[in-house]
Amino acid sequence: MISRVADHSFWVGRYLDRAESTARLLQVTRSLAFDAELTSLECWRPLVTVSGQFPDFSERFGADAVGDGETVQRYMTWSPENPVSIRSSVRSARETARSIREVLSRDIWQATNELFLWFMGEEASARYMQDRDDVFRQVRASTQLCLGLVRSTMLHDAPMDFLWLGVLLERVGQTARILDMHHHMLSGADAHHQILQTALWLSLLRACSGFEAFMRRNHGRVSRGAVVSFLISEVAFPRSLLYCTRSALGVMRRIWPGAASDGALDAIERMAALDAWIVKETNEPAPDDIHPLLTHVVDQVSLVCQAVQHGITGPTAPLEVNTSAQQQ
Amino acid sequence: MIVVTLRSPHGVRETLAVNCIPVIPSLLDGYKPIPGTYDEMVDVEGKPRAHARTAADLLRNLTGDEFARCQSLAELALAQQGVTFSVYSDQRGSEKVMPVCLVPRVISAAEWVQTEKGLVQRLRALQMFLDDVYGEQRSVREGIIPANLIEQSRQYIPKLRGLRPAGGIRIHIAGVDLIRDPAGTLRVLEDNLRTPSGVSYVLENRTVTKRVFQHAMNQSGVRRVDEYPTQLAETLRSVSPRDPETATPVVLTPGPFNSAYFEHSFLARSMGLELVEATDLFVDGNVVFVRTTEGPRRVDVIYRRTDDAYLDPEFFRPDSLLGVRGLMRAYAAGQVALVNAPGNGVADDKATYAYVPDLIRFFLSEEPILQQVRTYVCARKDDCQYVIEHLGELVVKAVDEAGGYGMLMGPQSTAAEREEFRGRILADPRRYIAQPRIELSTSPTWIADKRCLEPRRVDLRPFILSRPSGIWVLPGGLTRVALREGSYVVNSSQGGGSKDTWVEATR
Repeated sequence: MISRVADHSFWVGRYLDRAESTARLLQVTRSLAFDAELTSLECWRPLVTVSGQFPDFSERFGADAVGDGETVQRYMTWSPENPVSIRSSVRSARETARSIREVLSRDIWQATNELFLWFMGEEASARYMQDRDDVFRQVRASTQLCLGLVRSTMLHDAPMDFLWLGVLLERVGQTARILDMHHHMLSGADAHHQILQTALWLSLLRACSGFEAFMRRNHGRVSRGAVVSFLISEVAFPRSLLYCTRSALGVMRRIWPGAASDGALDAIERMAALDAWIVKETNEPAPDDIHPLLTHVVDQVSLVCQAVQHGITGPTAPLEVNTSAQQQ
Repeated sequence: MIVVTLRSPHGVRETLAVNCIPVIPSLLDGYKPIPGTYDEMVDVEGKPRAHARTAADLLRNLTGDEFARCQSLAELALAQQGVTFSVYSDQRGSEKVMPVCLVPRVISAAEWVQTEKGLVQRLRALQMFLDDVYGEQRSVREGIIPANLIEQSRQYIPKLRGLRPAGGIRIHIAGVDLIRDPAGTLRVLEDNLRTPSGVSYVLENRTVTKRVFQHAMNQSGVRRVDEYPTQLAETLRSVSPRDPETATPVVLTPGPFNSAYFEHSFLARSMGLELVEATDLFVDGNVVFVRTTEGPRRVDVIYRRTDDAYLDPEFFRPDSLLGVRGLMRAYAAGQVALVNAPGNGVADDKATYAYVPDLIRFFLSEEPILQQVRTYVCARKDDCQYVIEHLGELVVKAVDEAGGYGMLMGPQSTAAEREEFRGRILADPRRYIAQPRIELSTSPTWIADKRCLEPRRVDLRPFILSRPSGIWVLPGGLTRVALREGSYVVNSSQGGGSKDTWVEATR
């Protein structure tokens, strides 16, 4: 498969999953802001922080604005300057998909293009003012439709593998960040307030689309330890760190079965090391260990992503010009 | 009853039932052709022509409201599928949906047989002419075409003389623009022998019309167009320097910001070939490779949708970074086929056009089947004098421009524009030709803001594929329509749209 196309496939996966994830986070945080007895700052600040956009946000609106739900939502939904806003992700997903249309099925392309046309059109902005949750729900439904079409209408070979690798690596990062974000909230909140704590853990599970799955595993018993282990190491839950790292490892071994390039070997080794580390180090972590642990995961994943892109250029000379679709 | 089902964005499926029992007032009522102009659907009295009867009945049975619904659903479908082109004058990113008018343009079976013969004849002669230009130049020595016309053509590449391309074919894909005069005769307006575009719209338009007018299409027996990608893939494989069965053809695009990117992607996708950009390719030891995740893979045939000048910086523009370094070396060594061959521009030059009937007689010893348009070549002294004196009646064109650019429409021009062209022609007569303005034929065309049909001018671009075993012509081709009232310019970059072209099946 052509290296540039592999790279772009990888990024289509990442952008789609990122758009879905951002929409889901906004939805969950809105619900939290209505229900739980948290200050506006405690609700919205973590959302900006885990997206990695706090410096940019405070430069544009001032650090205090991070407690203003409307500003944060507008920034995370519509801002073209914010590279991880839904708008940026949807636009990049569509632009990148357009550049590799020939390897996507018509259904995938059309679903992606329709999402783009709808989101950029008047209908979505009007809806945002009237029924915001519906906009987020629609973004999620559309991105999930795209990802479902990837698995049900594309050939299960190299282009889909690269696309799905992008989805999985994006997801590891997202789950780690969401977990970290709730950890921040909890440390800010009244630790003795049992109802609030439970509300936060439940919202965390919802933010990871893992509420029902968690309940089935734990029969309704919600505790910090149980939620954290579930999201980190439940191998049957498709958004847990371990599920994603393990699947990503499988995909990488399928893409590069034999003697691959240095980049590919490096990527596979790093991924295997991270996978082993998660199994070994993350069994029932103490509250103070959670943040460093998740930081380690996020850092390692970004190194894996770099190695993957290096691996994509193959055993030949590297590309003469940087044609990577990466925008952030 | 026709049922139309299309999806609206993020909504439920909209189902539209179109009532086929005659309803008054119908769409064709009140449709009047322009006096002195041939109309493709109706005769001077407004009666449908025999071969267009099914299409005309279809319109008769629709009211303006019903048609408007069909039209807007079709436009929505095209937008959702991303059937777009980019505009040259825009820097990047401005994509537009190719405007489409759902009223089809119909060609009779008998006329098509004759047209197809004429196109095959023309392509055979042009191919022989190119072989000759890059070979012995017999046609020059024997005075059929002036030597300076070739030497001064910007598209002529002297370095390629003596080189026979892999597979022996030079014009694998041609688009020949035809227009119809008021007497009803189809005439060749120009040849496109480099990278003719538009075929994807032919296929997409058909998909849309089929959905909307399924009933009528079944009845009228329209010839299918969907075998084009298979035929094209076969054409590409047929010129491979290595075993065609295992050959690797690719489609080379300048990238997503090119105006015809949709088509490049469309063709690659419908043939199941890789779509590559120049940076994906490299040359090693006169062999072309594509960079893949499994390492380099050899490429045998390149259907390139880039201009000659951007093929290979080593050969064409040492200062340029665009293109694939060494590609022309590989081509010269016969290790890769380039589709179409570089250097074809000398044959579709608008000045060469004037000599094509003579070239047909010279190379084939046959009389040309297709008529042309009277052409004044400003490189000829007498012609130049005539053009300068009659600027107000003629259409002046730069020989090497396309897309409706670099033109003077004499009858619609201002004195200042004519003065400007007078200066330009005198400064560089070789660059200009002129033709009388032909009253292009019209076709009933949906005018959205008036909610009715009005005559608009059309042309026709058939697509012709050539391979060593013979020539294949796509039934019909792209009908382009000048959507602006009174306009003669059909180019999509200048307010043109397209129509589905129905070639009546032989019974």
